[in-house]
Amino acid sequence: MAGVSMKDIKLRIRSMESTKHITKAMEMVAASKLRRAEENVRRSRPYFDIIYKTAAEIAARDSEFSSPYLIERGIKKSLYIVIGGDRGLAGGYNHNVFMMAEEELRSKPSAVLPIGKRALENMRAHGFEVYTDAYPVAAELSISDSFSMSKLVCDGFLAGEFDEVFIVYTHYASMLTQTPAMRRILPLTPVENVDDDNSDTLYEPDGNTVFDRIIPEYIGGIIYGAICDSEASEQAARRNAMDSATKNAEEMIEDLSLKYNRARQGAITQEITEIVAGAGD
Amino acid sequence: MIGMNTFHLVIVTLDGVSFDGECEKLVVRTIDGDVCIMANHISYVTALGMGEAQVFTGSGVRKAACIGGLLSVSDNEVRLAPTTFEWAEDIDRERALKAKERAEALLAQKKSVQEEKIAIAKLHRALVRSSVAKK
Repeated sequence: MAGVSMKDIKLRIRSMESTKHITKAMEMVAASKLRRAEENVRRSRPYFDIIYKTAAEIAARDSEFSSPYLIERGIKKSLYIVIGGDRGLAGGYNHNVFMMAEEELRSKPSAVLPIGKRALENMRAHGFEVYTDAYPVAAELSISDSFSMSKLVCDGFLAGEFDEVFIVYTHYASMLTQTPAMRRILPLTPVENVDDDNSDTLYEPDGNTVFDRIIPEYIGGIIYGAICDSEASEQAARRNAMDSATKNAEEMIEDLSLKYNRARQGAITQEITEIVAGAGD
Repeated sequence: MIGMNTFHLVIVTLDGVSFDGECEKLVVRTIDGDVCIMANHISYVTALGMGEAQVFTGSGVRKAACIGGLLSVSDNEVRLAPTTFEWAEDIDRERALKAKERAEALLAQKKSVQEEKIAIAKLHRALVRSSVAKK
């Protein structure tokens, strides 16, 4: 009887060990992907700063300045860009950001532009209007994809298909904290407090044209930034989830090893008792 | 003599910094056509079109495919922030030509106005890349 039980325990230990190997490997993969995502965030920063600064300067410099991207109109319909992951096993990463998006989507007439397989599936399952499903794989999104998405969103906004655009993503605060976040990207919120020391700057052909040209680039930059931020969050969340899964597996293996040793000892004791009993005869 | 006839040029894209150094002359295609920036240019901002960029440094000229974004000049500091920027030597000409063929095929089908626009933009991009790579 003890033999069967010992064999069972051994099997369970072995299966726990292979689970542990998998979770450990996933943790390591996530950690290396996280480094890459962090690097992407860092590299995209200077570009974004230049575009932002220039747009702010143009807007601040000219009191006559106006752009269709700045006009607040009555909100009849809103568009939400929701960034999720392609896979699960990342703790609460997908759930948290979808909860935030769903709450917003339910509160007003709106459409959703999901990024990532999970986001698309989730939004479809809840019956929200999907504006486009052209971006199903978050991990493969390139810089040019974020620009084409920005173009799509800007054109839709100018054509009056929707009156405001939000982006819902996960902000990577640290290795341990990732918080879902939302910001409005259109219409643009006018910037204040720009120290304008280049008032003699020549804009060609003129400020308005340059501004309207660079706004889609700016939005593209925001979208790309949010994707990188979310990607970093996803990998960090997965790393943490896999880390605790590995720890749980270790704990279970330890527990099972103890049980196994007890069973083994029990079996030996029994055998000795049997031999001693046999010799006594 | 650095500073007299050179200026500091920084080229950044979302992919990172492509160039950071002293430069004698910069030629880029803006939405209104080619412009040439030399040292001590007045403060200047414009949006970029699609075309070839030429960076003249002391050691010669480097060419690149430069598409979209903006050019900003102030205090002898020139910042080029294009949507995409590829040095001629980094462009895979075969790939660019294939992309051109694909874009042409797409344009021949032209299903909707939106798709036609995208196809034209793709074709334009492929043409710029392949022509820059050729030289």
